[in-house]
Parts: sequence; C-alpha cells; structure tokens
Amino acid sequence: MAVATERQDPGPVAAGVRRGGPPPGTRRPAPGAAGRARLTGAAPYLLLLPALAATALLLGWPLVKDGLLSFQNLNMRQLIQHLTEWNGVDNYREALTSEDFWRVTLRSVIFTAVNVVLIMLFGTLIGLLLARLGSKMRLLLSVGLVLAWAMPTIAATTVFQWLFATRFGVVNWVLDALGWHSMAHYNWTGGQFSTFFVITVLIVWGSIPFVAINLYAATTTIPGELYEAAALDGAGGWKSFTSVTFPFLKPFLLATTFLEVIWVFKAFTQVFAINEGGPDRLTETLPVYAFIEGVGNQHYGMGAAISLLTIAVLLALTSYYLRIVLRQEEDEL
Amino acid sequence: MKRGLIAATGVAAMLVSVAACGSDGDDDKAGADGYKGQTLTVWVMDGSSPDGWTKDVKAAFEKKTGAKLKFEIQQWNGIQQKVTTALSESNPPDVLEIGNTQTPSYAQTGGLAELGDLKKSIGADWSESINKSAVYDGKQYAAPWYAANRVVLYNKKIWAEAGIKDTPKTRTEFFQDLDAIKKKTDAEPIYLPGQNWYFFDGLTIGTGADLVKKDGDKWVSNLADPKVGKAMDIYKQYQSFSKAPKDKDEATPQQGEVFAKGKTGAFIGMGWEAGIAIKANPKIEKDIGYFTIPGETAGKPEGVFLGGSNLAVAAGSEKQELAKEFLKIALNDTYEGQLAKEGGVIPNKESLQAQLKGNPAGQAAAPAAATGGTTPLIPEWAAVENAPNPVKTYMTAVLTGKSPAEAAKSVEDELNKRLSQER
Amino acid sequence: MKRSPLARLWPNAAAVVLFLGFVFPVYWMFTTALKPTSDIISEDPVWFPTGGTLEHFQKAMDAENFWTLVGNSFIVTLSAVGLSLLIALLASFALARMRFKGRRGFLVTFMIAQMAPWEVLVIAIYMLVRDGDMLNSLLPLTLFYMVMVLPFTILTLRAYVAAIPKELEESAMVDGCTRPQAFIRVIFPLLAPGLMATSLFGFITAWNEFPLVLILNKDPGAQTLPLWLSSFQTAFGDDWGATMAAASLFAIPILLLFLFLQRKAVGGLTSGAVKG
Repeated sequence: MAVATERQDPGPVAAGVRRGGPPPGTRRPAPGAAGRARLTGAAPYLLLLPALAATALLLGWPLVKDGLLSFQNLNMRQLIQHLTEWNGVDNYREALTSEDFWRVTLRSVIFTAVNVVLIMLFGTLIGLLLARLGSKMRLLLSVGLVLAWAMPTIAATTVFQWLFATRFGVVNWVLDALGWHSMAHYNWTGGQFSTFFVITVLIVWGSIPFVAINLYAATTTIPGELYEAAALDGAGGWKSFTSVTFPFLKPFLLATTFLEVIWVFKAFTQVFAINEGGPDRLTETLPVYAFIEGVGNQHYGMGAAISLLTIAVLLALTSYYLRIVLRQEEDEL
Repeated sequence: MKRGLIAATGVAAMLVSVAACGSDGDDDKAGADGYKGQTLTVWVMDGSSPDGWTKDVKAAFEKKTGAKLKFEIQQWNGIQQKVTTALSESNPPDVLEIGNTQTPSYAQTGGLAELGDLKKSIGADWSESINKSAVYDGKQYAAPWYAANRVVLYNKKIWAEAGIKDTPKTRTEFFQDLDAIKKKTDAEPIYLPGQNWYFFDGLTIGTGADLVKKDGDKWVSNLADPKVGKAMDIYKQYQSFSKAPKDKDEATPQQGEVFAKGKTGAFIGMGWEAGIAIKANPKIEKDIGYFTIPGETAGKPEGVFLGGSNLAVAAGSEKQELAKEFLKIALNDTYEGQLAKEGGVIPNKESLQAQLKGNPAGQAAAPAAATGGTTPLIPEWAAVENAPNPVKTYMTAVLTGKSPAEAAKSVEDELNKRLSQER
Repeated sequence: MKRSPLARLWPNAAAVVLFLGFVFPVYWMFTTALKPTSDIISEDPVWFPTGGTLEHFQKAMDAENFWTLVGNSFIVTLSAVGLSLLIALLASFALARMRFKGRRGFLVTFMIAQMAPWEVLVIAIYMLVRDGDMLNSLLPLTLFYMVMVLPFTILTLRAYVAAIPKELEESAMVDGCTRPQAFIRVIFPLLAPGLMATSLFGFITAWNEFPLVLILNKDPGAQTLPLWLSSFQTAFGDDWGATMAAASLFAIPILLLFLFLQRKAVGGLTSGAVKG
C-alpha cells in the first residue's frame, strides 16, 4: 500500500515529473487546450459523483443520524419501541462535565502519541535498514514484515492474548527463563500499564511493516547522484542522511504520520479485545469509551454524543496536517 | 414529565399491538392444522440445549402443531445488543432464551410478551426461587427454563492424601479440610481467584445481605452493609487458601484447566466445568468429586447464585399462540425432565429433580437451589455487571488489604452511577 | 568504500532478530493450532511441534454454516473492494489530473471521511438499515464496507495517478486517442500496482469487519467469518488450540493474498509513495 503524499517541499528531484508547473518539453497541442477547458467543466464533477454520492449516502447519512441520536435519550426501551425522546444537549452536557471523558481523552492522546512515535521511529529505522541490506537478507526481513502486516487484526489480537497468557503464555516463560522469575505467572491484563504495554506491542508490531516497507520503497527512488553530490561536499553518513535522505522523505513521513495518527487513535479491536478497556476501565481509549457507554451499557444516545466528540478530537489532532494540505493544494495545479 | 408522557404512550401503543397479535393468534388456532406453513424461530444460547432435547422437542412440536420449528444457536459475544436490536425489529425471533438476571431489564422495555395465562395453565408448580426472575412488576414476562448453581469440585486423590474421609457438611469443616490439605500435601487447597463474583453473590445470599437498597425512588449501593462485609470476610477466608490471582475471575485462566493439572484440591464452579478439566487432562476424570457448598450449619447449604435462563416470547412476534404452544411442549414434564437429565441442570420444578439421578454434579447442586437467589432483580442491575463490574473491583480491593467498608466506599460512586442511569 | 566486517555484520544480525520478532506471532499461531493440547498447555513451551494434529482445525471448521460464512465473507469482501476500486479510480483521476472549483474541499472531505469511527456509528447505521427493511442481507454490508475503504483508496490512487507523467497521456492523445482511451490504454496498466496495493487494504478491512455484521445480520445464513472467529474466544474460553486454528484459517486468505501481491505492490509503491 502506498501513501498519498502531500508534497510540501518540492525537493530537488521530483520537479520534472511533478504535476503542476508546465512540464518541460511538453508536446501538448494547441488546439487541444481549448477542448480540454470545455471538458474540464463538468467532467471532474461527474467523475467524482459516484464517490461523493456513496460517501454522502453511506457515511454522511449515518453521521447525520448519529447527530440526531446524540440529542436523544435512547436506551433499550426506546430502541425496542421505536420511541424518540429528545433530551436536548443532556448527553453532551453529561459527557463534557464528566471527569471520565476528559481523562479518557487525555489518555487517548497520550496513547496515540506514544504509539505513533514508536511506529514512526522503528518503522523508519527498519525501512533504512532494509535499504542497507543485501538482497537475500532484505527478502527475508520483508517476508517477516509482510506476514505481520497481513495478519488480520482479529486474528493478531487473539494470538497476542495467547502469547501474553498468564499461564502457558510464551512471553512469561521466556521472561522466567531469562531469570526474571517473578514474571513466571505474570498477569499482563491485571494492571493499566501492563495492559497498555501489550496493546502497544500489538499495534506497533502490526503497524511497523506498513511504514518500513513503504519507506524503503521511497528510499529507492532517491537518485544516487544526490548522495554522490553530498559525498563530494564531504558529507559523512549522518550528514548525507540529514541533507539528502531526510528532506526527500519528509513529505512521505508527514503523510504516514497522519495516517498512523488516525489508525492508532481509532484502533478499536486491539484495545477492546485485549482487556475490554480494563482493568477498571483504565485502558479505555475514546472509541472504546464510546462503545462501552453507548453499546455496552445500551445508552445509545450517549454513545452517539461521545462518538461525535471523538471525531472532533481526532479532527483537532490532525488539523495541523489538514491545514498543510489545504495550503499546499492552493499552490498546486 | 414530558418524557413520562411519551413513555406512557409508548407502553399503551405496545399493549395495543400485543393485543392485536394475540387476536391474530386466536384466529390461527381455528383448525388443528391452523399453524401449517408457519415457522417458529427460537433463539437458544450456545451450550444451553442438549442435542437430544432439541431433536425431540422439535419432533413433538412439529407433530402437534403442523408448524416448523427452527432453533438458532446464539453466541454470547455481543448478545445483549443483539437481543435488544432483534426485539426492535418487525420480524423478531418468536421465542428467546434470556438470562434470568437480564429478564427484568428486557421486561421493562416492553419487548417481551406478558405470559400470565401461561403461568396459570402450566406454571403452578414452578419452583419459586427459580421463577422469581421471570416476574417483573408483578407480571409474568417469561417462563423459567432451567437453573444452575455452583458446587465444590474436588480432587478425591488429594483429599485422600490429606487423610480426609468424608466431604464437609459445614463451612467450618470445609475450612478444616482445606487446612489439612495445605499442611499434609503439596497441593493448592482450593483454586479461587479474587473475582469469582457469582460465588460471592451466593455468599451474600447466604448472609441475607442485599447488594442494593432503595433510597427514595432510586436504587443505591448497599455494599457498606455489614452483612455484605461478612460475606466478603467468608470469601477472604476461602481465598486465603488459594494462590490464584486476586484480580482475575474464574475464566482467566479457566479454573477447570488449572484444576486439570492435579495440583489443586478443589474449586468452586459449575458442574460442567469438570468437562474442561477432563478435556485438558483426561486422566483427571476418575478423581473428580462434587459436593454441595456447605453452609454455616449442617442442615442448610451455603447460599448460591442461581444462574439460568428463562424462555420469553417477543412482544413483536406475530405468532404469539404458536409460541405458547411451543412453551407448553418444551416445558412439559417429559422434556423439562429430559433437559435436566441430559444437561445436568436444575429443572424448573422440584418434582423433576429426581431426573438428576446418576449425575453427581447435578445432585450436588440441587440441594442448594431451593434457597438460592440471584443478583438484584431490577432492570438497573444489568448496567452494574458490564465490565468492569464494580463489585469485582470491590472484591479485589478487600482481598488486597482494604477493609470491606473502605472498599465499599471506593466503588460506591461508580455503582450508584450505574444504578441511576436513565432507562 | 570498504566496510569493516563488524559494520557488515550488524545490519544482518539486526535483520535476523527483527525477522524472528515479526514472524514469531504468526509462527506461534500456526504451530499452536497444529499441536496436540498436551503440548499447548505445558509448563515449558514446545517450540517445534513434533506430532502434528488437525484436530483443532476440524473443531474450528465444525461450526454450523462454516462454508456459508466463508462464501459470504468472500462475496462481501470482493464486491466491496471491486466497487470501491471502480469508484475511486474515477474520483482519483479527477482529483489528480483536473483543475476545478472545490477540488480542495473534496480532497479534505475524503481525508476527513477517512477518520470516521465506524465502530461507534453502528447503531445509527443499524437504525437506518432496519427502517429501510434491509436487514439480513449482504447488500448493505457490501456497500458500507465499500465506503469504509473508499477514502483511503481514492487518496492513494490519486497519488499513483499523479505519479504517472502527464506526458505519457498527452502523447497518447497526440497519437489520436481520446482522453478516456488514453486513460484506459496508458494510465490504467501503469496503475496496476496501485490498484493492487489499495485492494489489499480494502480486502483486509472488509475481511476483518465485525461490529456491523454482528447487529445487521442475525440470520446465520447472512453472516461472515469474523463472527465465527470471535465466537471461538468466548465459546472455548482458553481452548487455545481451536482458537489458534480458527485464527489461522481466518488469516490464511489474507496472508496468501499479501505474499502473492506484495512484490508487485511494493514495486509500485515507489511511484505512489513519493511522487505525490
């Protein structure tokens, strides 16, 4: 899978192939230009129509419905009897004034930050490692990465529960064998920190391959001449990384970080299935909190309100990147 | 006030629709083959109905009514929202198995049909302790199907090794036996994790404690009641004989699997958990014995939580009469007896308990059933048991050193919050 | 520049360690599924299974309707992915190649659509589907899965389209092709890796989806595999053998698809990933 990169810094290389600016040596025929102008009148909208219609109907409509539900008192009884009981902003008031909501929000933000930093850091390092390896070792590591990447979330979560099982779990056995005997029957889901540790290992394990493989692919497109030029200027390993590799990869890293923020923040299966938000609701992140309050406790109106607040938080977290996209798209085309 | 009005209208509308369904049913009843061509859908939970029972009931039902019967086995995962949403649909399952403690919350939604006349015609001798959960607000909303309660499963070999001749008749004797195992063998006397909450619930039933109390028109926590504290003390005493984690329940790890290793003197569980142990280690089978959890005095067993299920009819079902026909067949003495025999569960009538003969687990469970109880039978309670159950939190807190009063205080807010959630 | 032996050694050593780290959970899943129960619950892990057994797999596949579920999962997943590719192709072409009013707005719309927390929208969706009388059908499921993967597919394909030099297309047009023809003959083949990469993503998302199908389709004939897999965890408790067998069965199609497509997809990443 590739990443939709929003190029910020044109970089020295891509200018030639980049869309935008008149491509050098273009063979665009003059008469065609007028035809194109006409074509571009309605065509883009027609091309976008199916996508927009599908999104509006199948995502927009449920969102509106969710919005309406968030102003209702909707529990088992109301759902079963098809009753509509408006309760104004009660759900929002209750959510926003509850300490829980803010605690969970903060926790989600920290959780996302920690995971994304780990994923990006190790993903990048492994991607660079791939670039350095010989072809056999690269194939070996790629196969490992691809297997981890391809594990369906539900299956992976199940496997991690088994790896970290209190009795007969292989992780505890290894820790014990390494001399850390108090870990022999350690109960990973017994504490907040240890539960988060398992979830984080699971998420980072499953997310690194995406970053590493894509990053490696990206590095292969860095023209060798750039490194040669840098070497001529006397740049060492680190210098050539900061002056060539990093600037070249920066847009890629930015776009990937954006995606990882979304994916980690939204991660539901992993967080929920490992310990259902426990112990004592201490590992609930926002989506899990919305699910437990809404669906688990069958307060669907409340759940709807929290889900919309969740979207708002996610928008806030990603606003930096969205702004960049907006600004940069202005310059393009 | 406005909400009350809307709610009242809703209930009225519901009653009308139920009445309408009822009359439909009456029309159907016209001929013996009046049900021909209809199909009755019955939801039962995974593991509830033994194959033989299912087959025989199906045959009997189809012969008697001419209609088809379709059992659909439901998984536990996400079952609550599945049932709630199903009850809201225009074509819900006609008959559903509903956990006994969940019955009140479904009853208050108006999603279940009232079965007062069924109780009159076939339910005169339903055990009172078992039927209690099917009644809400004085009305019968389900038919009791079966109950099950915990017993002590013990390892005969280890007990013999400790020199114990007979199974204990009182709690004091039981503790003495556990102590003997601790001293004379290298086995763990009992495996009891800190959050075997249904065992604890049984203890509170034994001490006569209530977990909730009324405060005005609201239900609030009653965990601070000394009777609850007393039950918790008993639990703590049991737990002191175990090395099991204090913050886990009996399913993680499955206590049957722990027991299977043959290094555990006993555990408190459902009779069928022996199967888990046997599967993990077939050699353990001959060593497993069962006895009723002993109470304070020899005559009266320990209080137990009566788990179990009721069969309810969806209010939105268009086959009310056919559904009742099904209940009359499925719950008659023949099939209810067969269920007890095949499934080893406590039947809904005391007269049928003889069917448990030859089933040591069932026989050990039956004596406690009459004095068993459940969790508080109020719709509000369902929210309490959603993970993380604050009562479990309370248990862990006491076991890790807090006093019962302190522990009760620390979870009261959460418990009250859940009890006061809008319905 | 000659590197010292040590400098050559450590990347390889690191690669081996990382390989083991990434592969181990997958390896452990398969081997647990194949081991007899006594080897699974043993105080010392059995690292290499000696005697394999298919007992756990049999148990896992013994579920009622297993093959119906397999069929449903494939139908829903493949249709959702196919539809989303088709729709996304059109949209991504417009977004990558054309200049029009509101383009930025559309782009940001899809970026935001990507953030939709579907798990918590299930009740709203359920009520719409219920009131539209479409429960217990594969169609709504297919459509919603399609939209779940659509934004990502559009944005990614857009990058791929943009990475194809405009000149190629234009030269085709000079040679007398119409624009659609140029698209089909020139761009489409070059997009193949992009299509594969995005379809992998779509496949894995739709294949995994659980909360929605749980409440939309209560009829066992209209359910999908995730329900079956998750039922294992509850029905069998700590029966890790059967659970791992089920997880393996569930993962195999995706693992095969990845191994089959990854080479081409990764090859294509080059263009998609960087030349935004």
